[in-house]
Amino acid sequence: MAAIIELKNVTRTYKLGDEVLNALNNVSFIVNEGDFVAITGPSGSGKSTLANIIGGLDRADSGSVVVDNTDLGHTRDAKLSTYRNQHIGFVFQSFNLQGNNTALENVMLPLVFARMKNKDRKARAKECLEAVGLGDRLKHKPTQLSGGQRQRVAIARALAVKPKIIIADEPTGNLDSSKGEEIMKLLKELNKQGITLLVITHDLNVARMAGRVAEIHDGKITERRG
Amino acid sequence: MKFSDYLRIAFRNIRRQKLRSILTIFAVVIGATSVTIMLALVTGAKGFFLGQVEANGTLQQVAISPKADITDFNDANHGNNCDTCVKLTDEIVAKVKAVPHVIGVARFVNDGTLDAITYGGKKLTLEQTASYDANGIIVNNMLAGRDINASDTTGVITITSDYADKFGFKNKYDQLVGKEVQLQTRSFYTGIGADVQPPPQCDGPCDAAQQQQNQKPTILTAKIVGIADTSSNSKTVRIPLEWMHGMQQFQQYQQTQADRDAQQNACKNVRGNCPPVQPHYTLIVQDMLAKNGYGSLIAKVDNSKNAAAAATEIKKLGVGAADAEASIKQQLTIFNILGLVLGGIGGIALAVAAIGVVNTMVMAILERTREIGVMRAVGAKRSTVRALFTFEASLLGFCGGVVGVAVGFGLTRIANVFVNKQLAGQGVRAHDIIGLPLWLILAVIGIATLIGMLAGLYPAARAARLDPVEALRYE
Repeated sequence: MAAIIELKNVTRTYKLGDEVLNALNNVSFIVNEGDFVAITGPSGSGKSTLANIIGGLDRADSGSVVVDNTDLGHTRDAKLSTYRNQHIGFVFQSFNLQGNNTALENVMLPLVFARMKNKDRKARAKECLEAVGLGDRLKHKPTQLSGGQRQRVAIARALAVKPKIIIADEPTGNLDSSKGEEIMKLLKELNKQGITLLVITHDLNVARMAGRVAEIHDGKITERRG
Repeated sequence: MKFSDYLRIAFRNIRRQKLRSILTIFAVVIGATSVTIMLALVTGAKGFFLGQVEANGTLQQVAISPKADITDFNDANHGNNCDTCVKLTDEIVAKVKAVPHVIGVARFVNDGTLDAITYGGKKLTLEQTASYDANGIIVNNMLAGRDINASDTTGVITITSDYADKFGFKNKYDQLVGKEVQLQTRSFYTGIGADVQPPPQCDGPCDAAQQQQNQKPTILTAKIVGIADTSSNSKTVRIPLEWMHGMQQFQQYQQTQADRDAQQNACKNVRGNCPPVQPHYTLIVQDMLAKNGYGSLIAKVDNSKNAAAAATEIKKLGVGAADAEASIKQQLTIFNILGLVLGGIGGIALAVAAIGVVNTMVMAILERTREIGVMRAVGAKRSTVRALFTFEASLLGFCGGVVGVAVGFGLTRIANVFVNKQLAGQGVRAHDIIGLPLWLILAVIGIATLIGMLAGLYPAARAARLDPVEALRYE
């Protein structure tokens, strides 16, 4: 399979006061289309930094990042935003839904930035919510939904623009184990349909579901096949 | 992102923090209301003033003065008491009539012959009596009855509403029309209607004796034909020019040479004692109006655009001439300055409101940091975030502007009721002079929106600058 994510010698350092933190230290990493990769490691090891760089939310200090033929190292904000909109679906630990909006409106948000027509937006958002099993919760606000349902809405939002890659940062972190399992099953299902899946986790049960497990330690990546 | 999406999202966000948004908008409302009212007052007053000028035909008039160097339209009635003054004679009137664009001339005399006016036992002092050709050049706003017309000769008068009020005819001017009033002349009056007697038998110079005889004022009677409002050209009473001319016919008995000869010859052929001889006198009439000329002339031109040119042309006759434009412009400047000052006060209120908008938006961005992070993650550009918050701030301004104009509109309606009452009390026929023209409504809403937008620029830039990773992590 062709490589969809290609990182070469990527370094990212943070300055915390006087301290220099090497979040990523000369990391090279390839993900093929359709892969399900779990990225594990202790807190502060650089897992999220890796995910953010791949997702176009953060930039590498040096090295090259090419995702789906887009070189993220030399991209302006507007183009990078469009890249996030078109190629990446994000799923967060704390769901990050907009509290005042209904499930449907939350899923429509990326489509608003994609300048889709209002009617098409609604249809697509409904489709996505039905795909995650929330066809009967369209008008519900996040506060009226359980944690598992909220994460499903977040996944539906990630799916809305039909991205090739979904990046999930601790998607089960705020859920009990049975709900977490359901969410992972849903993600795995999406992976089977061809979406490349990157899951950041320190839950070994989650990591076990992945085809590949990459472990980050002090900014260095080591990999073992799952 | 589409315009409708900006509008929808901004509205939703404003509704989210209802109390805070309402308070912020309220501050804008106060500013917008005060700007609206103050500008409405000024434009209304200006419009009313211009309307009066228009109705009086002042812009089509050129004032002509005996004094060559007048510049102000209202200074024309200068009298004939300066060294360089030119006598305004009928000859000059004819010359003025011949000037291009001039379509008519009214001869104007302002005079202090009449001292008092009495009706129903009530005596009121008169300052000046105005008199001019009733040829339609000088127009008065009549509240009751009619103005002096060309067929009037003597014995008629129009008075202004303040005199009528003092006679006790407030709001019932019609009842005063047709009533007879007594006009008391100044002392030593010898014009029309005066009882001028030859001097009594006297030795030596008889002038003193004759003067004593004429010292008593004359009482003339006149019928009130109309009541004019106080904004009319004549601020006082008006009588026909012909009557005024009559009052300017000064009569005096004098001894001519013929009288003296006759007196001497009376005893020539009498033998013995000559009986006391009756002194001989002749009544001499002197036309003072012909001697002094008219107080001023008002020329009417075919079009107000030609007033200045006609004034220049008339000046070549050696007389003073001024059109009303300069004086009206000067008075309009006062309105404009007033507008700036009052508008400035409202502007300060709006500036304070703008600070409120900044505060609200900065707060909103702090609260919504995480949301901004999510928007950025799912594809919002920096420019989109900036536009979104700028739009929201503009919407706050816009809402404040709309409500402010509405409140201002209501208040001007109420103010008009009072102003109308006041004007009616002064005998001015006008209503709803505090105007709220469309341009003013649009301008106030536009300014309020613009202020909101400007106030939103800084918070919006801050929102756009947020690092998405940091924003997503924000608690």
